[in-house]
Amino acid sequence: MNEKYVKAVRRYHRNLTFALGVILLIFILIPLFVKSPYILNIFILVFYMSTLSMAWNLLGGMTGQNSLGHAAYMGLGAYVSCMLITKAHINPWLSALLCMVVVGLVAGVIFFPCFILRGPYFTLVSIAFGEALRQFIINSTFFGRASGIGLPFKKGNSFLDVRFTSKVPYYYIGFVMLILVYLFMKKIERSRMGYALRTIREDEDAAAAIGINPIRYKVMAVVVSAMVAALVGFFYASYTRYIDPELMVQAKSTESVLPAVVGGAAYVEGPLVGGLIMIPLSEFLRAKYSAILPGINMLLYAIALLAVIRFRPTGILGWYMGSKVKNFVDTVILKKPPVEWFEAVEQERSGRKEA
Amino acid sequence: MMEKTPIIEVQHITKRFKGLTAVKDVSFTIREGGITGMIGPNGAGKSTTFNMICGYYPPTEGKIFFRGQDITNKKAHEYTNMKIARTFQIMKPLKNLSVLENVVASCYFGHAAAKNNREARERAMEILQFTGLYEKRHVLSKDMGTPDQKRLEMARALATKPELLFLDENMAGLNPAETEDAIRLIREINASGVTIFLIEHIMKAVVSLCEEVIVLHHGEKIAEGTPEQVMNDPYVMEVYLGKKEAPHAQSN
Amino acid sequence: MDIFLQACVNGLLMGGFYSLMGMGQNVIFGVMKIVNFCHGEMLMVGMYLTYVLSTTFSLDPYLCVPLVAIIMFFLGALIQHTLITPSLGTKSFTNLLFLTVGLGLLLSNGALVLFGSEYRTIPTSYQQTFISLGPVNIALPRLISFCVLIVITIVLFAFLKYTTTGKQIRAVSQNPVGAEVVGINTKRIYILTYGIGTALAGIAGALLTGFYTIFPTAGASFGFRALIVVVVGGLGSIPGAFFAGIFLGLLETMVALFVSPSYSDLIVFITFIVILVVRQLIILRRK
Repeated sequence: MNEKYVKAVRRYHRNLTFALGVILLIFILIPLFVKSPYILNIFILVFYMSTLSMAWNLLGGMTGQNSLGHAAYMGLGAYVSCMLITKAHINPWLSALLCMVVVGLVAGVIFFPCFILRGPYFTLVSIAFGEALRQFIINSTFFGRASGIGLPFKKGNSFLDVRFTSKVPYYYIGFVMLILVYLFMKKIERSRMGYALRTIREDEDAAAAIGINPIRYKVMAVVVSAMVAALVGFFYASYTRYIDPELMVQAKSTESVLPAVVGGAAYVEGPLVGGLIMIPLSEFLRAKYSAILPGINMLLYAIALLAVIRFRPTGILGWYMGSKVKNFVDTVILKKPPVEWFEAVEQERSGRKEA
Repeated sequence: MMEKTPIIEVQHITKRFKGLTAVKDVSFTIREGGITGMIGPNGAGKSTTFNMICGYYPPTEGKIFFRGQDITNKKAHEYTNMKIARTFQIMKPLKNLSVLENVVASCYFGHAAAKNNREARERAMEILQFTGLYEKRHVLSKDMGTPDQKRLEMARALATKPELLFLDENMAGLNPAETEDAIRLIREINASGVTIFLIEHIMKAVVSLCEEVIVLHHGEKIAEGTPEQVMNDPYVMEVYLGKKEAPHAQSN
Repeated sequence: MDIFLQACVNGLLMGGFYSLMGMGQNVIFGVMKIVNFCHGEMLMVGMYLTYVLSTTFSLDPYLCVPLVAIIMFFLGALIQHTLITPSLGTKSFTNLLFLTVGLGLLLSNGALVLFGSEYRTIPTSYQQTFISLGPVNIALPRLISFCVLIVITIVLFAFLKYTTTGKQIRAVSQNPVGAEVVGINTKRIYILTYGIGTALAGIAGALLTGFYTIFPTAGASFGFRALIVVVVGGLGSIPGAFFAGIFLGLLETMVALFVSPSYSDLIVFITFIVILVVRQLIILRRK
């Protein structure tokens, strides 16, 4: 009897791995067949915007703290790494690490007091923080004022300097960043911190009653989230080789939220799904109509956002989880056995270990 | 009877909210290993007293001791590390999480926090079986009825492995059969070595469960003792049970 | 000294707008406990509405104010009825927040699609008229706008204080369940409140057109300032918003005068963060 369970579970895992492997392989093979820099640019955009959205989702979706300042963390990360590269001549890879540390510290110091009060204060401060930072950079000669700063242009490719003439290496770096951040978020979700954050999202009093210090965990979430956003900023700066304060405008923060909310903020995968659907659509509209109707792509974003919130408040994934499509995919394609079978196998395994 | 240090000792606590005195100079002790109850009419200050003992807000005056240690100013989130857990009168299940995840979350915290996911899940399964929620472990907690949510409140508290459990009106809103089940569960928890302190409205539950009862009225303690002693106290009958005072009762 | 007085007056005149925006926000927050993140965009819609009305019917922009107020009220009521009320039921503050953010995105990009990104103004004959009050010169449009603002503020206070509907609004903001129990139709109050909040933003927009350029993101800076005003003045407090708005206007012009005009935004935002943080630390202490 148990043999049957074990076999079914094993087969399901095999199918799942196979399906994920195929998807992964498709993404790895795309640059071999797609040579158009325009298309590759869209993929790169999907990778880093979805990563930024995952960073937001750790705070917004998992912890329930709605930030509207993620463009500022990303921008600060980009600026710090650019300054380190151009002024201190530090290796770009090292600057990525340093800028994450700096942005994490800044976010922790600024937002620690904001978590003492509940309510919408965090959101308001996150907006003000972004604007203050942008205004600071616009007024600072050191940071190049409104005209921004560029990374040095040199001939040739260099992995050590994260400098390439082709888009293909950026495609792979962006893709690896996306996968690593995804795995990291997945790890957090299943860890003690993930349970703490989700408990805080549901009810702070309930969280305190089981021994979670809400302020401590919220600060942890904001620091980790800002660090990931800084990493995206580093990638962005290395990719575009030029940054300016426009990077931190309020609209960019909103853009970083959209993939998560449209895809389903309650799921780690939400930003991936939302990003994969929304960003190519927006870029397509921008390319096709922006000459005649500027703003049309953002208008579409806005309508999609409103429609999702009004009719599918849990996002695309939230709808998928309860739909017949998932049922079909699970039972027919992946051949997923009932939950009880998994538990039986798990119990058996742990029992065997103890014995 | 030997004199042991009481598990909780409350000394002269007072709580004032902007001029309104909700609790006034209340003192009592909770005996280790027993079930102690607190009753009183609405607005008697039961919940305020309860919240002060749980570290939800500090008393304006007075001190609270746990096994002789002053815990008056401990914060709410430090309690499970001291092996104390509580439930809420207004249930606070983690609505968008399954029952199992609700309990797993609790297993990760407190003095005996699980080290990894497997340990947390295994312990959660045991607790779900103990509280009779095992069959519903994959249901979202917001989709359950009141009796199951009350059970879940207890399961979540138990998952932190407390030695002292505070129950805030855990039987309010249950029908007689469900109340019987709840009483049985509380007895089982107590039998497993957990000291219990509860606030309850249902007289029957208090009488059948508690060895000691504290009665509050207008923020003051008016009686204390075994359920029989308290039930027969004339002042308690007057303010709490009140029926003898009612005009139609007098005419009978 | 003269420059200082001039700056004070300018700050006061601008602060009136921030007050009006902040009060609109707080009426909405008081009743529904949501922060309206498209308040600035509502102001922008009011500006374009004034522009369209005054150019098509060749009306004076100030004569458009009542019309704009009415149209904006119904726009707000419609948004409340079709979008916000249904989402209030889900009790998800994330969703409500992004609903208003999405509305803001919709309105500003809608304006961009409809009107393009060029700057527009409504020319009037008295645009360059100045009135001298002792050492201080005041542009006539700013003065008229400020007087109208004061009248609107007084009307709003009187409405909330003395009319039945105003009392109902205050009842709902204090205790929605209690208000429902005594027979107040909370859904109707929600619609009214959001309509009033939107109308206030629209009026501010209409009054700005006399001396301010019109473009799709014109509302953003006012939207930000409205948020600052409500937090500094206290979320939900209407008198608080009034004084905080005036304070913000004065702070801005003082910074422009004594430091540099380009730093005024930066200092405003930093002041905001500092005030908020200090206040929360005080609250923590008191606990």
